[in-house]
Amino acid sequence: MNQFDFLQKATIGQYIPTESLLHRMDPRAKIIGLGLLLFAVTFSSSRIGILIGLAAAIIGLLAAKIPIQFALKGLIPPLPFLLLIALIQILLMPGGGEQILFSVGPLKVYLANVLTSLLMILRFCVLILLLSLMTFCISSSELIHGLQQILSPLHRLRIPTMDLIMVIQITLRFLPFLAQSAEKIAKAQASRGAEWGTKNRGLISRIRQIIPLIIPLFLTSLKRAETMALAMDARAYGFKPYRTSMFEYAFRLRDGVFLLVTLFVSIAVFCL
Amino acid sequence: MNSAFFLNQQFELWIDSSNRERKIVVLIVLCEAQNNKNNKEFVSYFESLFLNSKSGNNRIPDIIRKEIRTSRTGHSTFLKTLFEIDHLSYAPPKTNKENFLILKDISFSVQEGEFIALVGANGSGKTTLARHLNALLIPTRGNVLVNGINSRNQQFRNQIRAAVGMVFQQPEDQIMATIIEEDIAFGPENLCRLPTVIREQVDEALAVVNLLENRYRQSHLLSAGQMQRVALAGVLAMQPRCIILDEATAMLDPKGRKDILARMEALNRMGITVIFITHFMEEVLLAQRALLLHQGKLIFDGKPHTLFSDDALLDAGCLEKPAAVRFFQCFPALFPGIDNPVLERNKLFDSIAPCKVKFTDLSEETYLPKQTNPSEIEIRDLSHTYMAGTPLAHLSIKNITMEVQKNVPHGLIGATGSGKSTLLQHLNGLYRPQHGTVRVGPFDLNAADLDVKSLRRYAGMVFQNPESYFFEQYVGDEIAFGPRQIFGTQNLREKVKWAMDLVGLDFLTYKDQIVSTLSGGEKRKTALAATLAMSPSLLILDEPTAGLDPHSRKNFLKMLSHLQAEGIQMVISSHNMEDITEAVQNVTVLSEGMSMKTVPVEKIFADPSFLSKTGMESPVAWQLAQALRNQGWPISPKSITIQSIIDETNAAINRENDESI
Repeated sequence: MNQFDFLQKATIGQYIPTESLLHRMDPRAKIIGLGLLLFAVTFSSSRIGILIGLAAAIIGLLAAKIPIQFALKGLIPPLPFLLLIALIQILLMPGGGEQILFSVGPLKVYLANVLTSLLMILRFCVLILLLSLMTFCISSSELIHGLQQILSPLHRLRIPTMDLIMVIQITLRFLPFLAQSAEKIAKAQASRGAEWGTKNRGLISRIRQIIPLIIPLFLTSLKRAETMALAMDARAYGFKPYRTSMFEYAFRLRDGVFLLVTLFVSIAVFCL
Repeated sequence: MNSAFFLNQQFELWIDSSNRERKIVVLIVLCEAQNNKNNKEFVSYFESLFLNSKSGNNRIPDIIRKEIRTSRTGHSTFLKTLFEIDHLSYAPPKTNKENFLILKDISFSVQEGEFIALVGANGSGKTTLARHLNALLIPTRGNVLVNGINSRNQQFRNQIRAAVGMVFQQPEDQIMATIIEEDIAFGPENLCRLPTVIREQVDEALAVVNLLENRYRQSHLLSAGQMQRVALAGVLAMQPRCIILDEATAMLDPKGRKDILARMEALNRMGITVIFITHFMEEVLLAQRALLLHQGKLIFDGKPHTLFSDDALLDAGCLEKPAAVRFFQCFPALFPGIDNPVLERNKLFDSIAPCKVKFTDLSEETYLPKQTNPSEIEIRDLSHTYMAGTPLAHLSIKNITMEVQKNVPHGLIGATGSGKSTLLQHLNGLYRPQHGTVRVGPFDLNAADLDVKSLRRYAGMVFQNPESYFFEQYVGDEIAFGPRQIFGTQNLREKVKWAMDLVGLDFLTYKDQIVSTLSGGEKRKTALAATLAMSPSLLILDEPTAGLDPHSRKNFLKMLSHLQAEGIQMVISSHNMEDITEAVQNVTVLSEGMSMKTVPVEKIFADPSFLSKTGMESPVAWQLAQALRNQGWPISPKSITIQSIIDETNAAINRENDESI
């Protein structure tokens, strides 16, 4: 791996077109269904429920024809943080249960705390897997159009949903931009003797090497934002309070079935 | 009814009618009736009618010629005024209005169906003017009328935007959606058209730019040329009556450029008004009319031919003559039967007079193989895969083998996406070889203990559009960044001064200038000086002249050859074949990530099929030399720049005259 490929480090947030059944589902069904699952896993208090959630996430990944190993890679970056939080929780939480697993000096480790910490790690893993599944199988445009239609009732209440959705769309479009610009600028700086990709010295010199990166990054991003705004303006964006869409989604039987299944699973996750 | 009789009847009506509107209606009927007929046939038919008519006027008016041409596509337009620009002045908001005028008192009008080139130096106000035409900017003084609607009128601005589409310079900055067809639908969606209508318009627009098979692809996976076509389609889907292209071809390779130009011409034939901004003089020849801006003033409005005959005007506008026109003006006698090199450019080369004298001694000069210098850069079997180990992995370059000789300027050409940039970035250690070996001067890039910093000092790299990466406020500080990192503050001032002298920026005048106030050419020089200040032995340039006006480009190339003479080795990658012929001696051609061959630059254009396969095109100067050679003119294979061709032709004519005496 190269130290300049900023984009490569994130597995989450990439759409992978595999043309599976899940990919061909109505975007509204996908957003609502997976959203329900996320909600249930977040607020479920039972171990069995979260295990069901894990199973659902893995079945979902299999159904979407995503290599499981690739999805699991996304768990690696946040893992140290999760472990740290779990460790703090284990050591510092007041003893909840009676059973003491072992004790190191003055610190006593309770079995119940270990179990809740493990549960927390598991919960986060399931959440990450579900979120990556969402990004793997819902393309940004599907997300936009799906949200647009789900939120369309709000439009009647004069809430500017169109602008909100456009903000999401532009953000999604801009993320790779930012990564690419950062890469180009870092390379240009490195070519002029900056310390990128050579060796890391102290904290202060590392901060100092950031400045030549940040200023052009801001400038190019602002310039880009300006051109993009101009390009949108030039194509008559914002003259009417609403826009039409080239797509008309048909809610089919399989979408209904998918929604029902996710609803049942969510209830199971939440209540069991 | 007999169609000839019907037409005759309509024509009588046309002649008799005094009302202009009525005439036009009749004309439409006439033209529609002839939609299937061959244009020429129709014109001659019209002419015969005119000869027979009572009025006796035997010349067919230009108006009608135009009518016939535009009405054949169904878009009937009758010389309607599309734009009226009336004493337009513009200063950015919140500035002192008199001192910061970007546009000064500009007046002109544009008829529907025109094909106009807008030219001028970097910073002369071309883009600002173009943005007034679709109400992205509102005049400070004066008025802009589009279709009779004043652009100050907020209520109708969306109508202006729908009527006048704009394509920008950077292909990727104007694409809103991640999937191509959705991006094209963006405009019609904003106009609140019905889904079925939108789909139809998207299909139509995709067909016009020939991207139907790519409609579901993600926009960032396309080449720059394809992306620019998407941008064009996005504008077309709104069904505009005018398209403005703001340097839309500047970032494209020859094939992509040719493609966009061909689409522009096709759209104009369909009756759409096309206005394009360009720095390529060859493109200006395509237009019917040229507008030249100089420091915010419109200093020329007329036919390209007139523009290119006026040296003073060209000089003032920082333009240059296209190679063919320049040659024609030097030797008009060589082109019997041609008066206007712009209008008759297609037969210009075919009409070259044969050389009267046989030059056997010169033309068959044996080609001396160049002495081979020791190699400076050696690349063997280099391959590179992006995003290796993910489902998105793709091979960027494979099995590249090339050699750069010491003290011989080297060029790198190939279509967009052929791996030029990836290859260049291996040369100063931004990428390390994944497979294969690279040696640059004394550095072996495969060595584990490679001193990357020294390598980057040795092989200085200037990226494409380097001015967008400036981060210091003053020119002097910007240039001092590199040497300060490498040598510390010792002798910093001398190093900066040395670098600025090399590129021709005066140290005392420029060191305390604010970077953002420099002109395009000066910024490019600053960027080059910033790299030179590290005193590299090797200079790697990625698209060094992209986006510069002809004068700045010429200056910049002159400076590069000066640097080469100073002993700094050049490696240049460029889409501009003229740059390549003027600045380098050896060329490596890349195609789809593979190195096709490395040859001396004068041999590269000899094989047209190879060129078109790799998306390249021979420069006009070379085509001219070839045409001259075919007529027996002793143009040596080494002369590939227009200047050397003119010199050799001059010499040949002199000898011809001597012998005839």
